[in-house]
Amino acid sequence: MEIDVKNLHPLEVKVLRHVDGSTVITADLIVSELGYKVGQCNQAFSWLEAKGMLAETGRHTGVFYELTEVGEAQQKSGTPSERIIALLKEKGPMTLPEIASALGIENADVGSTFGMLTKDNVCKMDEEKKACLTGKEPSSAITDHRALLDMAVKAEGRSLEESALGSLKDAMLRISKKRGAASSPFKVIERETVTYRLTELGLAAKQAVIDANMTGEELGPVTAQILSSGSWKTSSFRPYGVNAPVSKLIPGRLNPYGEYLQWVKDKLCSLGFEEFDGQLVETEFWNGDALFMPQFHSARDIHDVYYVKDPQHTKKIDEPWLSKVATTHENGGETGSRGWQYSFDHEFTRRQVMRSQGTVLSAHQLTHAKVPGKYFGVVRCFRYDQVDATHGADFYQTEGIVIGKDVNLKNLLGLLKMFATEIAGATEVKYVPGYFPFTEPSIEVHIKHPVLGWFELGGSGIFRPEVTKPLGIDEPVLAWGLGIDRMALMHLGINDIRDLFSPSIDSVRSRRG
Amino acid sequence: MPKIETTESMFFGLLGKTMTDDQLELVFPRAKAELDGHDEQAHVIKIELNDTNRPDLWSSAGVARLLKTYESQDIPRYSFFSSSSKSQPSQERKLIVGENAKDIRPYSIGFAAKGCKVTEDILLSLIQSQEKLCWNFGRKRRSIAMGIYRSDLIKYPVHYDAVDPDKTSFVPLAMTESLTLRQICEKHPKGQEYGYIVKDKPLYPYLCDDAQDALSFPPVINSARIGAVEVGDENLFIELSGTGLNDLLLAASIMACDMADFGFEILPVEVVYPYETPYGRSFTVPYYFQAPQTCTLADIRRVLGESMSESVALQALRRMGIEATAEKGVITARCPEYRNDFLHAVDIVEDVMIGYGLGRFEPQMPGDFTIGRLTPAEEKSRKIKNILVGLGFQEMMFNYLGSKKEYISNMCIDGSNCVFISNPMSENYEVVRPSVIPSLLESEAASSQAVYPHLIFEVGKTVEKFDGNDSGTLTSNTLGMLKSDAVSGYNDISSIINTLLYFLKVDYTLQTLENDPRFIPGRCATIIDARGRKIGFFGEVHPQVLENWGIAVPTTAAQINVDSLVELDTK
Repeated sequence: MEIDVKNLHPLEVKVLRHVDGSTVITADLIVSELGYKVGQCNQAFSWLEAKGMLAETGRHTGVFYELTEVGEAQQKSGTPSERIIALLKEKGPMTLPEIASALGIENADVGSTFGMLTKDNVCKMDEEKKACLTGKEPSSAITDHRALLDMAVKAEGRSLEESALGSLKDAMLRISKKRGAASSPFKVIERETVTYRLTELGLAAKQAVIDANMTGEELGPVTAQILSSGSWKTSSFRPYGVNAPVSKLIPGRLNPYGEYLQWVKDKLCSLGFEEFDGQLVETEFWNGDALFMPQFHSARDIHDVYYVKDPQHTKKIDEPWLSKVATTHENGGETGSRGWQYSFDHEFTRRQVMRSQGTVLSAHQLTHAKVPGKYFGVVRCFRYDQVDATHGADFYQTEGIVIGKDVNLKNLLGLLKMFATEIAGATEVKYVPGYFPFTEPSIEVHIKHPVLGWFELGGSGIFRPEVTKPLGIDEPVLAWGLGIDRMALMHLGINDIRDLFSPSIDSVRSRRG
Repeated sequence: MPKIETTESMFFGLLGKTMTDDQLELVFPRAKAELDGHDEQAHVIKIELNDTNRPDLWSSAGVARLLKTYESQDIPRYSFFSSSSKSQPSQERKLIVGENAKDIRPYSIGFAAKGCKVTEDILLSLIQSQEKLCWNFGRKRRSIAMGIYRSDLIKYPVHYDAVDPDKTSFVPLAMTESLTLRQICEKHPKGQEYGYIVKDKPLYPYLCDDAQDALSFPPVINSARIGAVEVGDENLFIELSGTGLNDLLLAASIMACDMADFGFEILPVEVVYPYETPYGRSFTVPYYFQAPQTCTLADIRRVLGESMSESVALQALRRMGIEATAEKGVITARCPEYRNDFLHAVDIVEDVMIGYGLGRFEPQMPGDFTIGRLTPAEEKSRKIKNILVGLGFQEMMFNYLGSKKEYISNMCIDGSNCVFISNPMSENYEVVRPSVIPSLLESEAASSQAVYPHLIFEVGKTVEKFDGNDSGTLTSNTLGMLKSDAVSGYNDISSIINTLLYFLKVDYTLQTLENDPRFIPGRCATIIDARGRKIGFFGEVHPQVLENWGIAVPTTAAQINVDSLVELDTK
């Protein structure tokens, strides 16, 4: 197995360098010889073990004596016995209450300690009932106690293993407690000791570390201190494992669908198109009449368009558009058409609806368009449909027009071809005759998409003179619409059109595209 | 878009040859048709027709006729048509319209056919044509209803009139008892479906023969006797009633041409009216009423961008079944009997295009130079988005239709500024959103599992009622933003607004927003620009609003009118 030394932490590197195949590895060993803290040691062991470089060879439960707060204080300022002896040495005989108040120890504790000192013949009560020293050397009980305290304070974790106590074991038993040890200097703890050895892999890793000249002393994170001191000049930086797991970040982001639409807009701008936009509330006039859709047209049914409840009608339709469009419907007006031969309903035309097709905005644009001119919109439309995976209550349509003195069918085909390659990345393009009420001729463009295969990219045509002339345009107008939804869904990796407008923060945050 | 089904044998029989699916897909676009499916087990071909203005193509005979003519350039002749100048002999076959029909359903026409045994295929095809013509073209029988009858049982003349619905009765199709016309509307399935068309009229349309034997109650149901055509019948009578004479005549012509293609001999019927019609008080059906359409060769060349000759244009039209002549650069096209879609010269141009072959036109880019440009609102929106994304905000996109609960009652507002849909599909999509904030709160309510803090925004449209224009409504480009976090208060949102408006170069002052139940009183502000206009507001969302939405995390929200910001750029 390949060993990547970059995946070893300095704590692991040092352990590997320190031990060899025959070492019985324990925490104590590493703590005492490498100066690790117990926690660091345990980390190094668990990482190495997980990598298969270290194997457990055995474990046994050891008894440890841990210095308590009381023990800590005793080590620093003396045990009660030591303090009483020192006091008597300095001040001469004193009554027990005097000792208690001078040392700040409870009367009872002074009593019991004095009792023990008397028993060991270190102290006695003189004739005046005052405590005094006998002059005899302190007993082994006192010196052993001191020795244990001094050992413990130096030991790792301030605890002593039973096996290391030797002759002091009995003394320890007297001054330690398993439970309720708060007033004792030592607390008895049972702790498991685990022994390890290096595995074959561990040995290989050791060799690799040596080969790589790694000491475990390499610099970790670059700190301001390292930079200002210049210490980096004399050390090397620890190489990091580049594949180490990383934390997940939540960035502020554009909505991926919006970004896609933005891309489409930018693309159209780059092709010389100027963007248009408009009100969501439209009138039957602009939504259908201006597009020469007869008022009895089947797509203008109550079941196709959303009507606005209030205000139900707009106050008026601007002239001269209203009169010209009405006449065109009735008899063709000045357009050279025979019209639809019915009597135009002037009340119906004022009725307000939610815009149902993007072409409405192309019609609006005609009233103030430049010639030549190229215009587009990516606009929200509303259609009376049962909401499901392929139908939304509202959705985007991408539509536009090209006005020019000499534009013709061939230009329309050229335009469609450009959209097919530039916007859809099509590999093949096919044109077939289509039908739209407002264009003649009408063309559908089908494309072969590298992922989606053949599908209908859009509909187009040359606006009928019945559409353009009443709105003040005598030049031909190419009109087109692109169905980019399928490409957007593919781009975003989703199947359900409702997900384009998902309210779920999580799903929008995690969507790629 | 109409879809039809036809058996292979019928379709290929009409076409005069069989074709593979690949071949069909290649030629169907000439008829603006698509191969919608081919059930090879049942030997059924499914075709979708895209031209809603060409009802003649909504039948296997119509599609086959166009494809066949395209190949052969041999225009089919139908000699049974009468016109204003000539009437075909109709013998005893008369349809007499009564005075009362005028205000109820003014027109009825008919013709007869004989000499071809009705097969299963033909019967299904006739029923399909009847359905498509009456449903798609005849606006669900409102303007066209059609009946097919067994002419052997008919004693001419046939009578069409409007009669008392309670005093006229017959046994309708699929029933055994005699019902009055009113009872048919109530009890018969077809009555329940189509009865509404005549229900509220004082008299109902009624068709019977001279022996007072019922043919039908148009536009609802045929009689069970004369009106029950079966496989094996040879002699048929077709009647159409409705509101527009041209549409009726066209539908009759389409039926007659199709039936002639099946092998029937078409027998004209004279229709007699007691009142004036566009074609007089009496005329003979099938009746050719269409006028020729002219188109200049220059128009064709200009629109198509192809310098084709007169004869090439005429040949292209002939492929499309259109007979045309040319004189001094003006082409005069005779409308085929089964069509009535020439409104303008451009309609001829399209047929030239298809007849010539769309694949023969070379795509060319338009030559004019134009400058691409985004709307000022889009440009401003993008600036806003950049700053907010930098501040850690996630852009959201929402639907613009929602429920009263979401936009109004959850927000503790009265909704008087809201625009409602009068024919909503469901109450979930009944109101156009007046503000972005409820959309953002909907997101927050649906996202309690998402890692906090939540910083979300949208720049989108909102619609409110408005006094300053003809519509009485105003669509605005609106920025909404929301912050939800365990600790989130007025100062947070205020500093976000401050940062945003600083970089947008908008000077503003704040005033306490009064009486807005969406926010905690005293912890919300109105943003006022240098021109003194209120351009937005923000604050701590009221706990009542949060409770209504089921949100349990402190939330602040803001809204700014982007159109106002755009206006600030114009001096």
